[in-house]
Amino acid sequence: MILLLAPLIAIAAIGAVALVLRAQRGGQRELVGSVVEPAGRRGPLPSVLYFTGEACTICHTAQWPALRSLAGSIDPGIEIREIDIAVDPDLARRYRVMSLPTTIVLDAAGQVTEINVGFASGEVLRRQLVDAGMPVAA
Amino acid sequence: MAVVPFDRSVLKVNQAILMSVIVVGYVVGLAYHPVAWALPVLAVMMLAAVASPSFNVPRLLYLRWLKPAGIVKPRVVREDLAPHRFAQLVGGVFLAAASIFVITGLLLVAWVLAWIVAALAFLNFAFNICVGCNMYAQLVRIGLLPLSREPAR
Repeated sequence: MILLLAPLIAIAAIGAVALVLRAQRGGQRELVGSVVEPAGRRGPLPSVLYFTGEACTICHTAQWPALRSLAGSIDPGIEIREIDIAVDPDLARRYRVMSLPTTIVLDAAGQVTEINVGFASGEVLRRQLVDAGMPVAA
Repeated sequence: MAVVPFDRSVLKVNQAILMSVIVVGYVVGLAYHPVAWALPVLAVMMLAAVASPSFNVPRLLYLRWLKPAGIVKPRVVREDLAPHRFAQLVGGVFLAAASIFVITGLLLVAWVLAWIVAALAFLNFAFNICVGCNMYAQLVRIGLLPLSREPAR
């Protein structure tokens, strides 16, 4: 009858891993208010960093269309930079990206103002850009 | 690894087989312990599928029966196969470990490992949350797995 515990232990193990991942995401929140990329290395200043990957289905089916729609409705001076974590793992590491998609909103100084783990709608990102003081009106 | 046309239904069939065999095997195994020997069979099935598509039993089942009979419809997408192969490998390794515990008689540990595989298969089947694929991405990110892909754009 001890075998009855098997599913419970398995779910507890998965839950524990999920809690660790959640704690790591908490570490990512510490980036809010800081500048991760030095100005000299940034080049043209992006306002939204979009971390994606080939295997991320929701990135391609939902996040990318939402960003494309957002890009068409905001000031063209606001850059949305797409970063494939497999192509630029160093940048993903510095922004502590643990899950895809992740979108990060920066203000004019390159300071992190918002971090969205998982899908973020165009409306949410637009509001976050406004809160970051970016000129979003097209 | 190149981005290629890929039928996601193959993955769904694989996950459905995993979940069904593990859950039914576990329930029956509560009364009849030798059913745990289904776990080594599943481990071989998973690892063989990683080794070659020709040995991928769920794929063959899908292509030869489920798809022609219209039971499962194709869902072709363009994506990199490497993360999915890695996820299958992780599942296969877990089931191989479970098999060792079946052989040594530690059935509780064997079924715990099997339930972890079943739960992760369910997440992928129902919600398209591929934990193994995310592990793959993290390993690439920290440099433990090589990058062999072109930029997304």
